[in-house]
Amino acid sequence: MIEVKGLTKHYGPIEAICDISFSVEKGEIVGFLGPNGAGKTTTMRILTGFVPATRGTAVLAGFDVHEKPLEVKRLVGYLPENVPLYPEMLVKSYLRYVAEIKGLSRSSAKSEVGRVMERFGVASIADRTIRHISKGYRQRVGLAQALIGNPPVLILDEPTIGLDPKQIISIRQTIKELADEHTVLLSTHILPEVAMICGRVIILNQGRIVAQETMSDLAGDRSLEEVFMEAISVESEQPA
Amino acid sequence: MKRAWAICKRELKAFFTTPVGYIVIGTFALISGLGFTVSFLFYGLMTESPSAYDFAAVPDFEETFLSPFLVYCGSIMMFIAPLITMRLFAEEHHQGTIEMLLTHPVRDRDIIFGKYAAGLVLVLAMVAVLVVYILIIDRFVAVEPAVLAFGLVAVFLMGAALVSMGLFISAVCRSQITAATATFGLFFIFFIIGYFGEDLPEENTAPATWSDDMHRAADIAYAIFRTFVRELPLDAHAKTMAEGILQPADIAYYVLFIAFFLFLTFRALESRKWGAGK
Repeated sequence: MIEVKGLTKHYGPIEAICDISFSVEKGEIVGFLGPNGAGKTTTMRILTGFVPATRGTAVLAGFDVHEKPLEVKRLVGYLPENVPLYPEMLVKSYLRYVAEIKGLSRSSAKSEVGRVMERFGVASIADRTIRHISKGYRQRVGLAQALIGNPPVLILDEPTIGLDPKQIISIRQTIKELADEHTVLLSTHILPEVAMICGRVIILNQGRIVAQETMSDLAGDRSLEEVFMEAISVESEQPA
Repeated sequence: MKRAWAICKRELKAFFTTPVGYIVIGTFALISGLGFTVSFLFYGLMTESPSAYDFAAVPDFEETFLSPFLVYCGSIMMFIAPLITMRLFAEEHHQGTIEMLLTHPVRDRDIIFGKYAAGLVLVLAMVAVLVVYILIIDRFVAVEPAVLAFGLVAVFLMGAALVSMGLFISAVCRSQITAATATFGLFFIFFIIGYFGEDLPEENTAPATWSDDMHRAADIAYAIFRTFVRELPLDAHAKTMAEGILQPADIAYYVLFIAFFLFLTFRALESRKWGAGK
């Protein structure tokens, strides 16, 4: 579903990511793990067509993100790191707006907005102004907008940040359920979260992939924590 | 275009669920209303005793009052248009919502035309304020319809041109303050060069000691410079239109002006893809 080959991105002289290659199969949940500044957000921004790659290719469902951006954008639901909300809008009119710019018809927009509000438990705040809702609700509204139109690929940048423990558990459960019909790529700082939700983990450090493991491989003698610490320590001794 | 309409609607809602829209239209109504009252009363004085104001007979209503008033209203937009345009893109950049807009299946043209259309609706709302004044005038004087129609078109075109320029500046700014200040600065230049233009002598005044060739070159350079200074100001082309004379060149000026800045806005939005090698 997602094919990434030799992806490199420079911001001026700074190399945000370097020669990243990986692939994600349909129905998989893959976790991006790595310290701050490892290149998780940059990779996701390239996949969603927000920033172009300096080199390399990214193909989603057979469409190259650089050559067929509109086709790719139709297939992807994206939750950016900073949840993109308009503070002066009502929750329901915001979601309605997202449905409209995704090109949904009037009637399906209405039912989709209802469905995602129900799914992420924001129906009770539908008539509140976004400026006045809590961080946890904002995050959930962000997740809800990513899911409008039921896109086959979901790219979620730190989906559980700012949520309370109860909400985290329910969002994790929701993401797991999504895997039946969606391909999910998510990033997080929380190690146990990856173990709980993801089938596979890609560890990034200083813009490079330093480890790729499936969760079943990790079930043996080494914990995710050990793998993570080992992967990022090796690389920091030999900076790029 | 469905998506452009959605974006336009959202912009308009944002104008009117925050104070911006009311402040913009209210300020316009206040300043234009003051101008209207003062100049209308002044015109009234002039008609009572024309000789006291150096007029041989009762001064022409359109020429002395209505046309200059309409151009004046267009000029007020110079102060107000930055308030309309500053948020259009800069706010999206600042809030990070631009990331949502650019990662959804929306074309650049939907974004730009949607936002520009929202700006135009505000300009139309301001033109609607002028209609109120005209209804008042209508009770006292029979206004020449051409002056009225083309005058209002001139005000709208001035506003539309200012909004296109402001839209471009907003697209390259992250902060609304920067966008508004830069927009106002540029507008200001566009208006004040008009005043210099009026003072420029018709003939180039190069020193007599220069050779003939130098004089010829200076003549050409000066003619180009003078034309630019006289033709570029935003209100220069509104003046004839507000007098009820419709010239294709004046319409072309505004159309080209708007097209040019919309084109620059497209480039500005596209610039995020620049430097992407394959």
